Amino acid sequence: MRGVFNAQGVLKTFPGVTALEDVSLTLTQGSIHALLGENGAGKSTLIKVMTGVYRPDAGSMTLAGAAYEPQNTHDAIAKGIGVVHQERNLIPRFSVAENIFLELMADQPLRRIDYPKLYRDARRWLDMLEIDADPATPVERLSVARMQLVEIAKALSLNSQILMLDEPTASLTPHETDTLFGILRRLRDDGVSLVFVSHKLEEVQEICDSVTVLRDGRNACESRPLEGLGRQDIVRLMIGRSEMIPDWSARDRTGDRPVLELSGVSTGIGHSNIDLSIHKGEIVGVYGLVGAGRSELAKAILGKFEVTAGDVMVDGRRADIRSVADAVGRYRIGYVSEDRKGEGLILIHSVLENVGIPIWRRLAKLGGFLTKGHVRKQTEPYIRKLEVRTPSLEQNVGNLSGGNQQKVSVAKWLAAEAKILIVDEPSIGIDIKTKAYLHELIRELSDAGTALLLITSDMPEMIALADRIVVMSDYRVMGEIVNNRDYRAMSEGIMGLIQDNEASAA
Amino acid sequence: MSQKLWQSDWFGPFLVTIAAIVIVSLFNPSFLSPFNIQILLLAISVNAIIAFSQMIIIAIGQMNLSVGAVGGLAAISFGGIMEVWGVPWPIAAALALGIGFLAGIANGVLCAYTGISAFVITLATLSVFKGINLGITEAQPFYEIPETVKALGNETFLHPLPWLVIPVILAAFLLWNLLFRLPLGRAILAVGGNEHAAELSGISVPFIVIVAHAVSGLLAALAGIMLVGRLQIGQPTIGDDWLILSFAAPVIGGAILTGGHVSVAGTFLGVAIVAIITQVLVLFSIDPFLVQVVLGGLILWAVGVNRLREVRAHRKSAAGAR
Repeated sequence: MRGVFNAQGVLKTFPGVTALEDVSLTLTQGSIHALLGENGAGKSTLIKVMTGVYRPDAGSMTLAGAAYEPQNTHDAIAKGIGVVHQERNLIPRFSVAENIFLELMADQPLRRIDYPKLYRDARRWLDMLEIDADPATPVERLSVARMQLVEIAKALSLNSQILMLDEPTASLTPHETDTLFGILRRLRDDGVSLVFVSHKLEEVQEICDSVTVLRDGRNACESRPLEGLGRQDIVRLMIGRSEMIPDWSARDRTGDRPVLELSGVSTGIGHSNIDLSIHKGEIVGVYGLVGAGRSELAKAILGKFEVTAGDVMVDGRRADIRSVADAVGRYRIGYVSEDRKGEGLILIHSVLENVGIPIWRRLAKLGGFLTKGHVRKQTEPYIRKLEVRTPSLEQNVGNLSGGNQQKVSVAKWLAAEAKILIVDEPSIGIDIKTKAYLHELIRELSDAGTALLLITSDMPEMIALADRIVVMSDYRVMGEIVNNRDYRAMSEGIMGLIQDNEASAA
Repeated sequence: MSQKLWQSDWFGPFLVTIAAIVIVSLFNPSFLSPFNIQILLLAISVNAIIAFSQMIIIAIGQMNLSVGAVGGLAAISFGGIMEVWGVPWPIAAALALGIGFLAGIANGVLCAYTGISAFVITLATLSVFKGINLGITEAQPFYEIPETVKALGNETFLHPLPWLVIPVILAAFLLWNLLFRLPLGRAILAVGGNEHAAELSGISVPFIVIVAHAVSGLLAALAGIMLVGRLQIGQPTIGDDWLILSFAAPVIGGAILTGGHVSVAGTFLGVAIVAIITQVLVLFSIDPFLVQVVLGGLILWAVGVNRLREVRAHRKSAAGAR
């Protein structure tokens, strides 16, 4: 089997760390190749070596039989290797068409842009990817899923023969993911080599043909067919042991006293008539597709958006939450954001600083002043408890891995002794080991009496954790299911509730 | 990463300051004469307050273009209240500080609630405050400044330490205390570091923005008042030339212009470096207009150094995360 791309014995070191050692990879034409590994296993470094961001210290790469030594990203693109990064790389106010052809336009900086032609050319790619959008629309008005597709269009427009996709489904709904997969399969059939990086193994098994697994910067397996590999086999390759699927029994906490109750709540941003309750020690899951208004509901509870009708009750009493400061300070409600970097953490501040924020006020009430030692004393036990891996508490949070950043976000609210904790998509971009740990932690928290509202699009996660599942669609609550932890029955029930809404809307 | 001495923000400027002092005094021993030190400290005192006034706004990730206009307005108010109404100087100073405080609140409220960028708002209020200043003074200075004020603005209480260093030491200590020991100040840095995260952690962002601007206004007014004592005249043009220095010193001191990170000691040393260089040009009788050029060069140098540190830190973390 001769590959269209081949990397052999790649070594890449950074001061003090060996990121890749003797790593090999072979891509064949017209296939989808999974690149797997835990966070820190070396996936990103390998992608950066392939796309010319880093130069390998040793080893060789060939592309279509010839030696391939990209000097920079531009060079890699010119040779037909395109990449869709995990972070958005679009210019929000530019049109779809301009974003797609940005690189090409940059090649001729002084040529007047022929917009009608640009839009026509863009239309071709949009049609091919079945993106239902006007090429002249500013990208910022598109949904996240469509932005993702625009990035793919951008990579394809450069005649990429090899297309790498880093966590392309992280922010897509199941339906959007299906559409994307259809497109990827078609690209494969057209002869493109695709590299698919994902933490979602179900997706990998669904769409990929072959797989390379990295562990601690080395090949755990190299370019072998995915056929015959089960989910447990892949997990074992990734972490060196089998995934622990928690076998927690179903619980019923509805007998306990309710901590948070919403009755007939409507908000200024479009929720209508929301009923929801969380009891002491209960985990209530909120499921819904992107755009169902879940995170927005969380923020309305937090006082960021206005509640225009209905009652919010905390501990059986009517709560008057006017601002997030109110929610945190007076009602002890905490929120772990889905957007860790954007709104969860202050990346340029230290671990200690970040965990300390919600309790500054309380600490200050005791003595008026904050000393590092005092803050440390109050927060360190929680940072330890969550096993945050950091060289020191003075380390900037921006330098930690995704999983550790998430632990810091949670530690913050543990230190604040939140009574009600809203957790929004807790395992986005987190490796399997940390995810399992996080799940145990959430379960423990609820056992200790914290009322938890869990927002997640990850169905297995929802079914593993939630006691009751509330299904939302179009800013309304469609119904509620008691979780009996039977995956099939639950997922069918949830989908049923969502489809009820779509049927009634049609 | 426990903060190592040489990694702290003030260490670089500190070395530069020491090196400058040593080199200059080797070439010209009169640099370290008590009289020259007094002159140097006078210049540093007023400029440090100006720099602190901008620093607190940099901390929340904004800019305050109206620092000089607020200082000027407070300065002529101080002079005017004493000359026209014959009010004792401490009361006049308190009133002038109050005016600066209110001007700062006005800036803060506009920034917090309109959603317009601080750059545009303070550009507008700069014009407003300057206009009020010129309307009151008709561009004429107030000359009748009490002898006590003149003395406080120029003389020493302990040779060669001028009285003016006292407010600087106080302000530096209080600011350090605010930013690094009080929740209020920590919240200011948190808002500068990531406004969304700060809000979702229960910090009232509008309140913090107003507080920062109020402190900025107060400090600008203090600088204006000190300058009246030093110049011995209520000059309407006070504040016109503050802007560049107000940004240069915090940046030399390691501040990040996008917010969330400032250094009180670093800012102070930034002011000292600028003052020493200005003095050197005078001592070696070089054209004083070159000061502007040197100041510009210093800003670029400081930003370059900060950038270099950032790139290094980034590389290190990229390597650590693989």
